[in-house]
Amino acid sequence: MLTRRTLVQALLVAALVVGLAGFSTFAHWYKAWMDEWGPGWHATAWPFLRDGFPPGRAWRNGDVTVYVRPKLGFCANCDTGVVDDSEVDQVTDVDLLDDRFTPVGAGERIRITDLFGRVRLYNIATRDGTRTAWGIAVNYKCDLVVALVVGKLDDPAVAKEAHAFLESNTVQVWLNKALEGR
Amino acid sequence: MTQHELAIRGLAILGLLAAAAPAAAQQQQIGAPPEAANMRLVGTSDLQARSAYQPTIHRQGDRWIAYVGHHGGTDAVPDPVNPMTGKAEHNGTSIVDVTDPAHPKYLHHIPGQAGKYEGGGAQMVRVCDGKSLPPTTSGGADANAVYMLRTFGSEAHEIWNTADPANPVLVTRLGGLKDTHKSWWECDTGIAYLVSGAPDWRVRRMTQIYDLSDPAHPRKIRDFGLPGQEPGATGTVPTELHGPISTGPAGNRVYFGYGTNKGGMLQIVDREKLLKGPPAPTPDNLRAPEIARLEMAGWNGAHTTFPMLQMPIAQFAHDKDGSKRDIVMIVDEAILNECSEARQMVWFADVSTEKRPMMVSSYTADETAGNFCQRGGRFGSHSSNESMDPVFYKKMAFIAFFNAGVRALDIRDPYHPKEVGHFIPAITDKTDKRCVTVDGRERCKVAIQTNNVETDARGYIYIVDRANTGLHILELTGEARQAAGLP
Repeated sequence: MLTRRTLVQALLVAALVVGLAGFSTFAHWYKAWMDEWGPGWHATAWPFLRDGFPPGRAWRNGDVTVYVRPKLGFCANCDTGVVDDSEVDQVTDVDLLDDRFTPVGAGERIRITDLFGRVRLYNIATRDGTRTAWGIAVNYKCDLVVALVVGKLDDPAVAKEAHAFLESNTVQVWLNKALEGR
Repeated sequence: MTQHELAIRGLAILGLLAAAAPAAAQQQQIGAPPEAANMRLVGTSDLQARSAYQPTIHRQGDRWIAYVGHHGGTDAVPDPVNPMTGKAEHNGTSIVDVTDPAHPKYLHHIPGQAGKYEGGGAQMVRVCDGKSLPPTTSGGADANAVYMLRTFGSEAHEIWNTADPANPVLVTRLGGLKDTHKSWWECDTGIAYLVSGAPDWRVRRMTQIYDLSDPAHPRKIRDFGLPGQEPGATGTVPTELHGPISTGPAGNRVYFGYGTNKGGMLQIVDREKLLKGPPAPTPDNLRAPEIARLEMAGWNGAHTTFPMLQMPIAQFAHDKDGSKRDIVMIVDEAILNECSEARQMVWFADVSTEKRPMMVSSYTADETAGNFCQRGGRFGSHSSNESMDPVFYKKMAFIAFFNAGVRALDIRDPYHPKEVGHFIPAITDKTDKRCVTVDGRERCKVAIQTNNVETDARGYIYIVDRANTGLHILELTGEARQAAGLP
């Protein structure tokens, strides 16, 4: 028969095990939650169906989502790159968000690291109502890199942070790898 | 090291060498013979080492003339010197007398638009005799003229009189465009489907339809494209055009191929409705002449859509219905070097029931037979011959397959196309390199890049090289010659 002392020890050990397990579960959940919803940029699943180009990468930071993918061998003019808005409409994947997208004015020239191209602002219809999105296309020789940024882009701080993220190592290291073989 | 260890190491090294040998052996070497099966080299022209796109072969009296469109120059040689003038000239159009195919004679080079690679040159060529074009109220074509329709880079379409092919004369220029590509010209009606980039359209390539019966006085009929591409449209921009092929008034169909290596689509259009319908580019007017579409997988394009209507199929000969089929051969274009994309190949669509076209077969060259993905440059299909001369039409098709040269297909049963020959030209000191980036560094290889192919009524096959190796004139031998019914 177990002594009272042994019983207490066993209960303490069990409590410790349960506590540790609970803490571990909480830590795991907390990390996952922070990865998904915490401050900063977090990778998220590429949400679009397979099409002619390989899937890209997506990241989220609060209310802002960024989608990036290279389109190899897609640039119309390897020397001048993307120079008009109709090409931005055509190549930037904005139709994957809303095939009835509407541009908000003319686009403008943009630089992402050492690549140049055009960016255009669109209104897109989502389940949460109308939102704004940037469609960005820059070229590297005969290849394109396209990006979508969905969020409150009329807030300069949001726009600046999204632009900085596109130039960050997180995006650029992956992109350079994706452009290998070209 | 013991003798036993030495033996093991020796065997390992031999094993590694043996494993590497097949790939190394497949790399083309200058001086090595061409690779061929049932096809034989008859003659060559180096085309002044200009990157070649499209050859068109035209009979002019007793002469046979090859017109070859070129891309722009390369980084290394932006404007090759024309030895006939001693001047550096932007790549344009080569005119070669191939009456004696064993000894082609280079006659003239018409310079094209400044610019390198796809950004310059004069890639596309079609030719009609003045005497074949119908009369017009404006006076009509010169019956003694031979008219060459060509693109001028991305800027314009031009028509030249090449009755004297050594001294061509410019007749007409249709400019102000943002791009051009592979047009089609009906020589018996003068109707031309010009692949153009009208400045206000949302795509670089759509169709401008002209009556070119009188080449000196072009008459615009209409602009055409897919709804969503027209000026003022919003939302998704449909895949842009690559090129059309018309069956003329007799067939009353135009087959448009959209996409090159992505989002391909065959569009079947009623020619009469297209030409006579209201011309304003509204979505309804653009939709009106369309009969059907055949959409392809996202990772394949429709570069060439070659119709072969009413093909008798031996296998179906005793069937009460459907013993003849309307077939469209669709050829994708490989874009990326060293297989960095999905395979681009050849598809056969049965369009007999036009509203419900269906792919029934496909063909690709055997990659493993030549380690083509490791050879350098592009591997995959690009284009087919487009001549409808009876010598090969509905019997044999020739497919330009970049580093796999040209492939000869027996297509008498389009449900089961069969390769019966091939020819991969040897590289020369003029053959340009093709590079990819590996571990951040450029790695280059030299390989044939057979870009386009055409045939003539005599049964010769003309292939041209995108990597500056020139023109090769071929003929069939053996089983392939038998399949074509040639003596």
